[in-house]
Amino acid sequence: MGNTTVNTLKITLKTIGMDIKLLPDSLASWGTKFSIWPAHLVTACCGVEFAHTSAPGYDAERWGFLPIFGPRQTNAIVIEGTVTRKMAKVVKTAYEQMPYPKFVIAMGSCAMEGGVFWNSYHVVRVNEVIPVDAWVMGCPPTPEAVIKAIRMVQNKIEGKEVKPNIRPNPVDLSKVLKPDKPQRPPNPPHRIEFELIKDINVCKPAASVKWELGQKLIDGVKESLKDGVKNAAVRGVNDLCIMLSNQNHLKDAVLSAFKLGFDHVKSINVIDLINSGVFRMEYVLGSYSSKELQPVLLTIYFDVPRDEAKVPSIIDVYPGADYQERELHDLFGVWFDGNPWMGNNFILDPDTPVKYPLRKEYRIPSLKGVVVER
Amino acid sequence: MINMAEREVSINVPVEVPTEVKSLFLPIPKNLVEEAYKSDEYLVLIGPAHPGSGHMRIILRLKGDYIVEAIPDPGYVHRAVEKLAETRLFVHNIPLVERPTIAESSIMDHGYVRAIEELGQLDVPPRAQYLRVIMDELSRIGDHLYDTGILAVFLGHSTGYMWGFGLREFITDALARMTGARITVSFVIPSGVRWDVHPDALRYIYNMTFFIEKKIDELGTIFTKNPVTVSRMKDVGVLTKDQCIKLGAVGPFLRACGVEYDTRKARPYAVYNQLEWEVPVADECDSYSRFLVRVEEIRQSLNIIRQAVKNIPEGPVIGNKLMARVPPKERERVAKDIRNYLFRLLIGLTLPEGEATTLTEAARGTLLYSLVSDGKSNVPYRLRMITPSWYNLRPFMESLRGYRLMDLPAIYGSWGYFPPEADR
Repeated sequence: MGNTTVNTLKITLKTIGMDIKLLPDSLASWGTKFSIWPAHLVTACCGVEFAHTSAPGYDAERWGFLPIFGPRQTNAIVIEGTVTRKMAKVVKTAYEQMPYPKFVIAMGSCAMEGGVFWNSYHVVRVNEVIPVDAWVMGCPPTPEAVIKAIRMVQNKIEGKEVKPNIRPNPVDLSKVLKPDKPQRPPNPPHRIEFELIKDINVCKPAASVKWELGQKLIDGVKESLKDGVKNAAVRGVNDLCIMLSNQNHLKDAVLSAFKLGFDHVKSINVIDLINSGVFRMEYVLGSYSSKELQPVLLTIYFDVPRDEAKVPSIIDVYPGADYQERELHDLFGVWFDGNPWMGNNFILDPDTPVKYPLRKEYRIPSLKGVVVER
Repeated sequence: MINMAEREVSINVPVEVPTEVKSLFLPIPKNLVEEAYKSDEYLVLIGPAHPGSGHMRIILRLKGDYIVEAIPDPGYVHRAVEKLAETRLFVHNIPLVERPTIAESSIMDHGYVRAIEELGQLDVPPRAQYLRVIMDELSRIGDHLYDTGILAVFLGHSTGYMWGFGLREFITDALARMTGARITVSFVIPSGVRWDVHPDALRYIYNMTFFIEKKIDELGTIFTKNPVTVSRMKDVGVLTKDQCIKLGAVGPFLRACGVEYDTRKARPYAVYNQLEWEVPVADECDSYSRFLVRVEEIRQSLNIIRQAVKNIPEGPVIGNKLMARVPPKERERVAKDIRNYLFRLLIGLTLPEGEATTLTEAARGTLLYSLVSDGKSNVPYRLRMITPSWYNLRPFMESLRGYRLMDLPAIYGSWGYFPPEADR
């Protein structure tokens, strides 16, 4: 029989000097067919449906399909969704650790061509990393589709044609659904006018909001900072914003907010205003310990020049901000003075060619047109 | 007798950073490794392939088998959602933002859509608000069951996994009946939901809540109150209340430390302030209480769903501001089902200049969206998205310190850490 996998195994054994008598081919492939044990390699979110495949609802163990930890004891990999640049190395290592014969099922549209993440800077295609035996469509594919792929691999082991042997009944769709008139998208559909944007007014006072506590809090911060405050406003109920004149006042502003009762950081953010040559830093503070302040969000803004973006770190006041500072250092190249991790990559790979991807000058491909919804 | 002082000799061992640190691309500073080797500690790598869902690496510094320090290495599922959002239309981002946590896709959409509604000042009819709440709570139950299953896998308890995912089938079935999709629903759109849900589907959900409640009790005897589970998780991974607040834990993990904070109560959205429910809080702050709080939340969510299904008003599911742009003869149909008009109404959506920040209570804690619009483009200028697992990573690493290596699976499972969500 023309079973390539068993032949590969024989050749591999011969090259390392082992000339043992194997089982009859038909028996070996029959055994392999019902012992597909995939390594547990959840690369992304398709793992949710993959887990359902082995759960009571679908129970893929009926076809001898049982996930096992550790690639050295397995003979299959199910790539569950997106493979990122960082993960690709791990996938390759895991594949090389597995004994022959081995099979790969690529699951989901991200594994095929990127899916929703087709233009991401951190996503690779699976067939560029390892050879794939069966593909599963969907985002995420249903457990039935995964089982279909298992049957395809079983066909391959038997030396048959690699195609699903479960087929849906053919339905004439032209009679069931009556498509609407085709709609014409506006041309061009994407109006990306970032080149024209000089400044975005993020700290606008609300027109008619009367909120005494907010006004009191704003006065409290203003008093302790004096000339450091450029602009302060109540943006709405439970929403305050303060614009500092430069980064040197951040430490004082954060300390006075801490004394007022804001005990944790909700978000650190960078808005890249490329045409003004500044990064607008944004710190959102919140409170857990004071019942009165629990709903309030205090947002602190200030501008730093893009070419030497150096900002004091606030981890001595708010240790919870640590990983967000590291993340923004990776993605924007902002240097947080005082954070010991600066200079190393945290989320991105240490050897990645991608540098500061969230800056506006780092371009990724964008859709040329819009797919028309029926 | 041997004189110990005489036998003490010092050998000058050259401490060099092993080559593996470079060949495995470990993102830890060289001096940290050197320091560890000099002080008689050793490094252990957990992951990236481990029993949990999604991938991350934890670099542990061990003394004996006690964890001295845990250094995380996230980013294995970093797919750049924030960057991609800048290249897509406001509506096109709805399927994108739900991909980090598809097990609770409805909640992820809800937070993002609320940011659009806040900036564009769009109105949402009450029936759509109720449908959103029902879907959010279904997703929350599904996500907690998912975490239960993963925790059971971590503890080597396959029965718990089977129960968690077996019960999840009913949640996915309910979502499929409502929206047509098992997991990635993309059902919430600006100013409403895609279409009105058939009363039969709502009746199915109402009846299902009683079945799940019964099964949660049975799960209690099999897994939750199982002596093995209790002894693996009790008094393990303890943090103090102060530490939890300072390091920024969110959601059920914060409530397990005695802080009564829930975004649905503190900054109410949708119709949560019209329904009666409680916030479960625990004081122990160990792994077991972090798990128990979430089991209790499943019961509260079932309670919310029942009230919402009972009280849901009749009416349109698309807001008036959007409906004004539909031709009058089509309005009656489109108010119940936006198909064929979604593209025409929302493709040209441009929001006024400014920033909107929304807080949403996802299953694992606070979910923050900051949407910045420049007023001219029909794509976001910047979308900041911080997910609960990213908040929880810092306290999670802190809770490992001082415990044994064999406690790591129990602590990891108790935090419900989900790398695709954390890395975005």
